[in-house]
Formats: sequence, C-alpha cells, structure tokens
Amino acid sequence: MKPEVDQILGLSAGQLMTGVIPLLPNSYSQGSTALLSFLMLFCAQEYERGAEIRVADNADMRSTFGALAHLVGDAKLKSRLDEAAASADSSLLISALDKNNAHLRGLLIELHAQLEAQDGDAARAGEKRIWEVLKASATRRLLKSPAG
Amino acid sequence: MTAELSIRLQTYLAPKLAAPDLIVSDLARIPGGASRETYRFRARYAKDGKPVERALILRRDPVASLIETDRTTEFRAYGAFHKLGLPVPEPVALELNMAALERPFFVMEEIVDCSVGSIIAPDPYGEHREKIGQQFWSVLGRIAKPNPDDIGLGDFGGTRDTATCWSHELARWEKVIDEDESEPQPIARAAIRWLKRNPPPPAQKISVVHGDYRTGNFLFDARGDIRAILDWEMAHLGDPLEDLAWALDPLWSHGDPTHPAGAIARDRAIAIWEEASGLRAELRALAWWETFASLKGLAIWISAAREYAEGRNTEAVNAFSGWYCLAFHNKVLADRLGGAP
Repeated sequence: MKPEVDQILGLSAGQLMTGVIPLLPNSYSQGSTALLSFLMLFCAQEYERGAEIRVADNADMRSTFGALAHLVGDAKLKSRLDEAAASADSSLLISALDKNNAHLRGLLIELHAQLEAQDGDAARAGEKRIWEVLKASATRRLLKSPAG
Repeated sequence: MTAELSIRLQTYLAPKLAAPDLIVSDLARIPGGASRETYRFRARYAKDGKPVERALILRRDPVASLIETDRTTEFRAYGAFHKLGLPVPEPVALELNMAALERPFFVMEEIVDCSVGSIIAPDPYGEHREKIGQQFWSVLGRIAKPNPDDIGLGDFGGTRDTATCWSHELARWEKVIDEDESEPQPIARAAIRWLKRNPPPPAQKISVVHGDYRTGNFLFDARGDIRAILDWEMAHLGDPLEDLAWALDPLWSHGDPTHPAGAIARDRAIAIWEEASGLRAELRALAWWETFASLKGLAIWISAAREYAEGRNTEAVNAFSGWYCLAFHNKVLADRLGGAP
C-alpha cells in the first residue's frame, strides 16, 4: 500500500508537532499532544515490525522448550513444554500472536524458575540460553526514542 | 471547567488564608505526572492593607491514579524539606475532604520562571550541565542526611529496620506487578527472584527516601540553579541508596549511562552524593539497588499500561510509560542480569 501506514503516522506526528502544538493554549495541552505524536511514531515503528518480533519471540521460546524440556523433573511441566515446543503460530494477526506469546512467556517463567532451583552444568547452560532468549526479545521490542 | 474550579478554589482558599477578598485567576492545567492533576493559578488579596499576588499550584487527586500515593505524605515532605532550606516549594494548604473540590488536593507555592528537563531530550541542561549536575547529586545527599524523626517524618511509611528495608520495598513492588500485570513478564519475574537470592547488606541508616528523584522531577532556572525538587508522592522511610540508584538509572541518562541524569560523570556524581550525605555508596549494595530501581520502574510501567489498556486513565503519559519505558527497562534488566552483549 502506498503510502505505507508507518509513513502516514510519521508525517501526521510531524504535522502535529510543527503545525498544531504551537497553536495550543497551555503547556498541559502542548505536552499531552507532544506525547500523542510520540505514540504515533511508536505505532509507526510497530506497524513495520509488529508481526516479525512476535513470530521471532515465539519461535525462540518454542525451540528453547524443545531443547530444555528434558532437564525438567516435573512431569506435568515437561509435558506442557513438549506440547508448546511442537506448537506453531497459525495466524499472523497480532492478537493471535500475542495470545500465543503470553502462553509461551508464562511457560518460560516456570521453566526459568525450575532451572534456577536445580544444580548442575546443564541447568546453568539452560539458564544461559533462556537469558539469551530474553535479551533478544528485549532488544527487538526496544522503541527508538522520538528525540533520536 | 476551569472557571468552575476557580470559583470553588477561591471559596476554599479565602477563609484558609484569612483573606475574604481573595480572587483566584489564571487557573490553567500544566503537566505534572499521572498521579495528580496539576494546575497553576494566581491568588490576589489584600494583607495588612497591601495588595498581595501569590503564584500557586493546585495538586488534585485524579479520578484514577497510576500508583496509589498519599497526598498527605507528599504535603508533609514538602513542608519538612522546605524548612530545612532545600529547594522545595512551600506547602500552603492540604484538604482531604471531598466537599471542596470533589477529590483530595493540596496547594503549594509555584516556583516561577523555571524549566523542567524532559527524559527524552538529548541534552536537557545545555551550558548548565555541570552546575546542575553538582547541585542535583548534592541535594539528593542532603535529603538522605537528616534523621527522619528530627524533621517530623519518622512516622512515614516504609520500614525503620536497616536489615529488612530491601525486602520491604521489593515486596511492595512485587505486589504491584502481581496485581497489575496484564501479561506474563519473564524479565521482571527473573529480576525478582535474583533480588531475593542476592540480598544487599543492611542499610547504613534509615532516611527519608524521595522515591522518584530524577530528571523531570526538578525545576531549574536560566542561571542553572535548581529551584525545586518536586513529586514527593512516593516518599517513604528506607535505605538512602534506593534514591541514589533510582537517580542513576539509565532511563534518565539521556542515552549516556556514564553521565546519569544527563549531567556529570557517574563517579563524580556518586562522590558528591557521598560527601553531602556522609554515607558510602558501597559497590555491592549500590548494584543491588540499581537492579531494584529498574524492577521498580517495570512495576510502575506495568501499572501504567494496565490503567491505559483498561480505560481507567487514558492520559497519553500512561501509554508512553507502559510501552516505551517498559521496553527500555526490560532491556536494561535483561542486559544486567543476563550479561550484556
């Protein structure tokens, strides 16, 4: 689609900042409108990357569960991890990806806490792998500051 | 709406200030955070036959608050530190009854002709960077110095136990996350477990902790003098390193964590704080409190996100905090606890 949604949002935010904010009557409405324009810039970033970062997060967590489930002594948790590792994102709707993401994140918390409580090199290596997943996710989701 | 509020405020203040001819004018809302509605106004009246004009601020509870904070705490903190000679506005009146303005509020002096640094500005202080930095860390040390009982704040919330103030604060913010998270937060949960497994040494003393001492919460004038430390609504008793760590947090470093608060170098900042407070910023203890600071940030942003998402408080600042700041602190904690790339 031309123009792209992120372009429309970015240009609209710019017009708010340069054309509208100077006309507003007080610092509260100016500040609030500046924040609204920042939110539009964030939405522009998210429009481009939204599906990709969720798909990547979900794939990272599934492969981690596949690699680490065997370390878990709790049979019920192991079974849930195995099931999640074999699952897939069947829709690229953001709402569907978020629903899967929330489920997988909940499992990741349980797995992480379980490994922290276990002794041995394999558990430490598992923890390290989980931190790599978390760091990659946090990096993907970082937003560029509107101030550059 | 402001016309009606002006009249109600005038009706309230006239007897409070013993000024039956008092007129409220120029009432206008200004930015003041998500936890209070903030307005500036002028009060004009005669005193001893002479005309008086006072620049004042109204801080009123919002319909829904981001973090439930006690306006009495904030009002009393302003009073105590104003008396000590710190750059803090003079409080004027506190009203907890709903009759006057529908919600509790307080009135304080307005510090005029000042600026506030935005947390996203690349260089918020310009040529006054050095001067403001020195004052910023020195004032924080002076806040940590007095015994809370000596300034009438010994009954503040928090704890007086030097051995457990870390766990008291951690439990407080874990509860916020428990109650407000809309989706699982693996980094916050991992940070909470790490903080519990690696407790800091006992606090050197118990001080009044401002609770939100940072860029954006103080005013400075055109000469680079800090004129007002604001937003004491999260003040409590605790380890003074809590305030130091919060002020050092990368979110307020304007893109350069080696110069926290966007001002002077970190080592100098800590040295100035140590000299002003008479305390030591021991490395291991400070590291614990810095991790805690980012976790506390996450808790606040998680609350903001929920308030906004559920429509209780749709101020843009809640969407900004619940998205931009949450993502920022997740990254800070993931790098800190998982090893920076």
